[in-house]
Amino acid sequence: MPNRLAIVGIGQTYHTSKRPDVNYAEMTREAVMAALADAQLSIKDIEATFMANMETFEAIYLPDHQMAAEAGFYGKPGLKVGTGGTSGASAVAEGFYFVASGLYDVALVIGCEKQDCGDTTAAISAAATPIWGKGATTGAIGEFAKQALSYMKTSGAKEEHAAMVRLKADRNACRNPYAHLKLGLKSIEDVLKSPYLVWPLRLLDFCPQSCGACALIFASEKRAKKISKKPVWVADIETVHQEPFRAGSFGDPTGKETYTQHVACERLYKRNGITKPRRDIDLAEIYEPSNWEEMNLYEHFHFCGKGEGWKLIEKGITEIEGEFPVNPSGGVLATNPIGATPTIRVAEAALQIRGDGGEHQATREVKTALATALGGPNWTVMTLLKRSL
Amino acid sequence: MAKKKVKETTEKSPKEEPEYVRIKFNQPRRYDWSTGKYLGHFYAEAKENKKIVGNRCPKCKEIWLPPTPVCPKCKVDMGWDWRELPQTGTVFQYTYLVFPLWDPHYGERWANPYASGIIKLDNGVFYRHFLEEQDKEKLKEGMRVKAVWKEDYNERGQGPSDILYFKEIGKE
Repeated sequence: MPNRLAIVGIGQTYHTSKRPDVNYAEMTREAVMAALADAQLSIKDIEATFMANMETFEAIYLPDHQMAAEAGFYGKPGLKVGTGGTSGASAVAEGFYFVASGLYDVALVIGCEKQDCGDTTAAISAAATPIWGKGATTGAIGEFAKQALSYMKTSGAKEEHAAMVRLKADRNACRNPYAHLKLGLKSIEDVLKSPYLVWPLRLLDFCPQSCGACALIFASEKRAKKISKKPVWVADIETVHQEPFRAGSFGDPTGKETYTQHVACERLYKRNGITKPRRDIDLAEIYEPSNWEEMNLYEHFHFCGKGEGWKLIEKGITEIEGEFPVNPSGGVLATNPIGATPTIRVAEAALQIRGDGGEHQATREVKTALATALGGPNWTVMTLLKRSL
Repeated sequence: MAKKKVKETTEKSPKEEPEYVRIKFNQPRRYDWSTGKYLGHFYAEAKENKKIVGNRCPKCKEIWLPPTPVCPKCKVDMGWDWRELPQTGTVFQYTYLVFPLWDPHYGERWANPYASGIIKLDNGVFYRHFLEEQDKEKLKEGMRVKAVWKEDYNERGQGPSDILYFKEIGKE
């Protein structure tokens, strides 16, 4: 049995498309200092750091080498992980493994990305080898265009439903002081008039490129109770990978059906006695690169039956005031500093459990929350958080 | 012990906010890449014989593209059982790029717009490639297409790119 551990400090920067005022080590420091302040700890209390960043998105290598001093792991273990879109959740998994093992009592988990430097979409296209997989890749947007087409065809969802997902994200983001895009969209038409990126995905169907960082402090059970009045327990985590070029489950070349989400759900839900996710979990912060994918993910995570994801959005079930809020923060559609994006999902889910969501606190009580991440060829990380164990 | 007085180098924070600096990015440079044994065979067949080849799993008998040393489904060693794939197929799904994209490997901007698709080859294997038809009104699922190769031998040797695009059958 792993040792119990909790999140005792949460910090994030504000998120925006351009931060010429800081370099990315300085930007990351803002989140680290915010998390330390939240936990009322000093950097001396941190025993090890796990950081996530997609090197090459900023067109450099060894980002950990650049920010050992700023992020506070000078002279200490500082392990960087890069697993594409899931990086920020892989760092959470690393923190979980090391603290749960009993090796460290207090650890820092950081996700950061500064997308005003470099070219992320170009770098994602380069995630395919230069000799295979580039042809029809067009970065992440092309991939999610295929999934959207496939979702549309099999579920009966209309583009109006996708627009409703964006409207929900925008309403929530407008209530979140840290969110990036706060567009004040009024109607479905506002979304449907935005230009195409890769047909049928529009500009407003897809997540933005943001600059930002997020930091979490993990503590073992003994230390957590002393550090925080409101520790948020990391009950469990599951991460599943697979090889490239076969993003979808076998037989689905469009990538709508997935293997890793299926396996991750099966394992995480089984270990934690979750039989009806929408009843057993109170809220979710999911990694939704496109508004079409959000509806698809509702189905993959078993929040509803097959082909019914769009009905949850139509009925308002996943709204902030709804029965099962999804992404009250505004989600990835509003804010996407890639290396930090999955860390923010965990941070926001933890804030909801603490009741510290402020303007974007869910109406219903949140005792159990799920944070998910998606990246690479549909890699998956799922983190289960609880108010009490 | 008396505190050492540290001389301040900056009296107050600078008046001007920092700005971006533009980094010069010069191409070309040499960039080599190894195909590996399996993809290497695909490359050789494309270059020498204008053939699309995949390898077949000894256990589940599925043919994989790109060719792979380990079956993605059964996780067994694939051996060396090669199958030539048909060069005709049906458009299973298509999309087209509207926004401009940089290619980081070649440092060039991609054509814009262009269409690509998932093609179900006539033996059922899926293959993703460019489509010749660029007019979105004429693109259709179920469209019958065939591979069009680079004819010049010396221009081939780029694996999948040895096929220029898939072109609608009967449209000459």
